[in-house]
Amino acid sequence: MNAGRWRSGGLLGLGALSLLTACGKQAFRAQARADSIVVVQREAHFREALAHSGERDGDAPIARWELPARLKEISGLALTADGRLFTHGDERARIYQIDYRRGVIEREFDVGNPAIHGDFEAITSVGDSLYLMDSEGVLYHFAIGDSTAVPYTREDTDLGSKCEFEAMTFDPHINALLLGCKRVHDKGMRDSVIIFRWKIPHASTDTVEHIGVAFDKLVGNNGWDGVHPSDITIDPRSGNYVLVASKEKAIIEITPAGEVVFARPLPSGHSQPEGVAITRDGVLIVSDEGESSPGAITLYRWPR
Amino acid sequence: MGWFKRLIDFFTLGSDRPIRRLIAYYVVLGAVVFLLFHFIPFFDRLLSGEHIQDITKNPQLLDDGLAAAKGKGGPIADGSSRLDLTITAVMVMMSTLALMLPVSWVFMSARRTRDFNQSIVQTLIILPIVVAGIVLVVRTSLALAFSLGGIVAGLRFRTTMRDVRDTVYIFLGIGVGLAAGVESLTVAAVLSIVFNFVVLLTWRYDFGRNVLEPTAASAWTEPLTELADNRVDAVSVPDRDLVLALSPKKAAALAKRFNRVRKILGPTKKKPRFNAILSVTTESLSEAQERIQVVLDGLARRWRLDQVITNEGKPSELYYLVGVRKEITRDRFLTAVRASAGDKVLAVDLEIGDPVATEKREAK
Repeated sequence: MNAGRWRSGGLLGLGALSLLTACGKQAFRAQARADSIVVVQREAHFREALAHSGERDGDAPIARWELPARLKEISGLALTADGRLFTHGDERARIYQIDYRRGVIEREFDVGNPAIHGDFEAITSVGDSLYLMDSEGVLYHFAIGDSTAVPYTREDTDLGSKCEFEAMTFDPHINALLLGCKRVHDKGMRDSVIIFRWKIPHASTDTVEHIGVAFDKLVGNNGWDGVHPSDITIDPRSGNYVLVASKEKAIIEITPAGEVVFARPLPSGHSQPEGVAITRDGVLIVSDEGESSPGAITLYRWPR
Repeated sequence: MGWFKRLIDFFTLGSDRPIRRLIAYYVVLGAVVFLLFHFIPFFDRLLSGEHIQDITKNPQLLDDGLAAAKGKGGPIADGSSRLDLTITAVMVMMSTLALMLPVSWVFMSARRTRDFNQSIVQTLIILPIVVAGIVLVVRTSLALAFSLGGIVAGLRFRTTMRDVRDTVYIFLGIGVGLAAGVESLTVAAVLSIVFNFVVLLTWRYDFGRNVLEPTAASAWTEPLTELADNRVDAVSVPDRDLVLALSPKKAAALAKRFNRVRKILGPTKKKPRFNAILSVTTESLSEAQERIQVVLDGLARRWRLDQVITNEGKPSELYYLVGVRKEITRDRFLTAVRASAGDKVLAVDLEIGDPVATEKREAK
């Protein structure tokens, strides 16, 4: 091979390396972690859908991930500060971490060894730990660990006599868990959506405050018999409370003072909404328990 | 690829030792990977083995409900994901090629015989690339995996390997392809490096050799002895494959030894030292030997007992290499033998001339 061909080959190689380097920097520097090609495609599609969500029908979901059979009875959703999404099943305290952008169950672990059983209804994150709540208002607190089973502490709110709980989230502004009732036992409060504020850490002398929103203000023209919240979350932008109601298949936003911002049905396609979460980058996540179809989580642009 | 050879030569100081050249290759490859790692953060993903960890840690890809509703089999690939796909696939393929090249070199060099199958060498390069591509496509899809099973069942890829080690090379190719396909190039690289060095070392030290079988070096003893005794005009190579099986170091030592012996002996085509073979058939081996040797001392310039063949239940045979004096005729020689040991020998014969050449002619 003569010198001219050597030079041409060298220049071509250098050019190819530069192009590859430039592409690599632009396309992948921000991508700290990725998975298989299918998953990479999903993430790219998700980013594109999120970027162009303003041009789409507000009711059109960005993504919907169908869950495996063991998560057919998916219940609450919890988002950590760093954006990890956790959920759980209904009867067994098994926690699942889901990458909602790419539709991957990243890991799962048990609470307790063996895993505790109960009627678990809601989950929320507080710092690096999670709280799981059953319908009687009993709280299970545990750290997010790498092991397959994590230890927990149990705390009974003694609010089980007041209502059947189904919704929970953490309000960092008042450092309290918001415990939402699905059905209220107290006759005087039966026509309202009741949300208790449970300070953490909770001292025996702490009073348990609550807010109530009358059904009348929520039902409006929707024709609902009542409102039965199945989960609650906090909009990270406004600080308002956002609830989903399973029976009504509705989404409701209220202020921390209890003023109704809106109450309307969810878009079609929700079989039984059981969990809700809103990410910092404006994604509304709704989990649905499966009936004839598999359980699912559906993602929308927020605010819609 | 001359530039690449020169580059490897530069690092190995021109050494032909396979291990040294292999180390140089991996050093160059490591440098290239370091540059890629430095300039392309994406490459980190391919090296990390993150995906294989995910697979073993039980990640589960959820079904895309929207794609299913639209009747689509998978997600939509936009521009950036296509670029991602392309670069991922190219990186994986090129890395697989880079890791399998030294394996093919080791396959060709670390052998006892030279008659390897060229198609296997090419398969070693191509198969892992194909496997990596298949794994990239199939990944965690059970449906695709079953489809692949069906397709492969339709193809008949059967071949008989002559050497068990050839099969191991194919397995290695599949292993490297799988590791690269799940974007765990670190595992692929370690697999390639460890395999190559283990194969080279086992070949270099002739590991697992049956002690009852002669080594390649010991098989040269006989031709060297022939050379030293000047029994043949040209020293015959015992086995051509034996030459090829020698490591460079052994071959060099052997050549040195040959040259030394030749130097001592001088030109090989000098006058033969023996010009006759005396063959004797006898039932009294030791007595016949004593008497014949008396005759040989008197009539031969030099002589040497070449071979004694004893046959169970039959007379034994004695063969002497003899340098017969010019003035001694065959008949006189045989008469002297019979006179000295007539009652101890059953038959005696003398073949005069170049006995080795005669023997060769007869053999032909």
